Amino acid sequence: MDSTKPLEHDDTIIKLEHISKTFIVEDGEARVIEQIDLEIRENEFLVIFGAGQCGKTTLLKILSGLESLTEGKVYIDGKAKSRFDPRVGMVYQTTALFPWLTVMGNVEFGPKTRGMGKRERQKKAQYYIDLVGLTGYERHFPSMLSGGMCQRVGIARAYCNDPEIILMDEPFGHLDAQTRYMMEEEVEKIWDREKRTVVFVTNNIEEALYLADRIIILTECPSTVLKEYQIDFPRPRSLVSPEFLALREEISALVELREGVVV
Amino acid sequence: MTVRQWISDDTKETWIYGILGFLLFLMVWQMACVFTDFGTIFPSPGVSIRTFFMAFIEPIGRYTLLGHISISLKRVLIGYGLSSVAGIIIGLLMGYSKMAHAIIYPIFCIVRPIPGIAWIPLAILWIGIGESTIYFIIFMGGFSQMVMNTMDGAQHISPELVGVAKVLGAKENQIFRKIVLPSSVPYIFTGLQTSLSTSWMAVLAAEMITAREGAGWLILSGMQTGRIENNVIGMISIGAVGLLLAALLRETERRLCIWTVRSR
Repeated sequence: MDSTKPLEHDDTIIKLEHISKTFIVEDGEARVIEQIDLEIRENEFLVIFGAGQCGKTTLLKILSGLESLTEGKVYIDGKAKSRFDPRVGMVYQTTALFPWLTVMGNVEFGPKTRGMGKRERQKKAQYYIDLVGLTGYERHFPSMLSGGMCQRVGIARAYCNDPEIILMDEPFGHLDAQTRYMMEEEVEKIWDREKRTVVFVTNNIEEALYLADRIIILTECPSTVLKEYQIDFPRPRSLVSPEFLALREEISALVELREGVVV
Repeated sequence: MTVRQWISDDTKETWIYGILGFLLFLMVWQMACVFTDFGTIFPSPGVSIRTFFMAFIEPIGRYTLLGHISISLKRVLIGYGLSSVAGIIIGLLMGYSKMAHAIIYPIFCIVRPIPGIAWIPLAILWIGIGESTIYFIIFMGGFSQMVMNTMDGAQHISPELVGVAKVLGAKENQIFRKIVLPSSVPYIFTGLQTSLSTSWMAVLAAEMITAREGAGWLILSGMQTGRIENNVIGMISIGAVGLLLAALLRETERRLCIWTVRSR
């Protein structure tokens, strides 16, 4: 087993070692993740890309503690990760806001749960509410906000809890194209300013190429690493530069060839 | 454009039609009393309205109308208050803990379909005739609805939101207060609303049998003494108070649960 161990980097923050996940389903077992080895570097914007429903979200849920592992180990900063690790935060596919709490209540939820004083946590929450551009909406309830605004609250809530790693599970999948572009720019801006490690799952190749320092391409069920791309285009990126389009073609062809799925 | 669309566009129009309907009703009532034998078994609107206002000054039995109503209200508030608190606690317990559900639910299922007023004979036998009996009957009247609605709420918490809270650092013992309780609030209000109307019904039934005062006693005594107008004003007061209580509760919910789409 040790022979397959990947090369260690000094700046590795998360290390996944031979991760596998099997779900028990009605007619037996379903393998969704097969032997993934991966190192995630500090402050990098890592995009996990794959077509279809398999594996990607489960991988994030394992990192967040929402799912258990069948096989393998996860290390954060070299130490085995506990189930719900305070160093990990998450932004969800659906907005997953607490509907009975205001924007402020949602954003301060993490610090409040950990027992931070009111003045301190509200000051902190206000900083992140301002950062995602929701100043003036502190006392609104989620039911009064648009989908894009809810996702901004979700992002502020994740950052406000001070995690080192932020997981984003197709956060813009439910938004219309225009809002989606806006949110992608926003996330890039926040990442640039706050410098945390982001692990971003998507099935949108354009989104992946726009945001990623590195793209990990997963195969269909069971998921395993198909290929890895280091993306060194300068930021902010142009969606229509020849290099961008060429790489987009290349990755699309790769996934299409393998899965027979048009991306 | 149909008439129905036309009036629903403007609340002022609806009011006018409502008042017109009411006047028409009074007119039919008056005519029935004047032109048929109905007048011999039922007071005319004029007599009823006069008795209604007189009842605020002149006592019927031991109290004035206002006195009877406040006695009934006090009884409802005590019985309903106790049954709501107990119902919410047991409902949350059964909804949140599978163990508590397994133990309590089978017994509860048998007790649930028994209406509150079915407890009257037992209550009299156990507690005797008195205030406590009335509280007990009201308690039993609203209790099961309170439990059912609250339990429903506590069972329908989103597992996703529980996950979100845990990822944000909530410990197992914080989940109840931070997730289960707030998600149950709209269901609890539904329970409070339905239980209030059954409590109001239960107090009348209880008073008819075991009391010497209150709105329930008033309508019964109207029959026993042959003063039907007392019966009529009793019934009108019961309707008005029930309406008021429900409106009060709805307003409270609207203020407390601004976050639910339903009450916006």
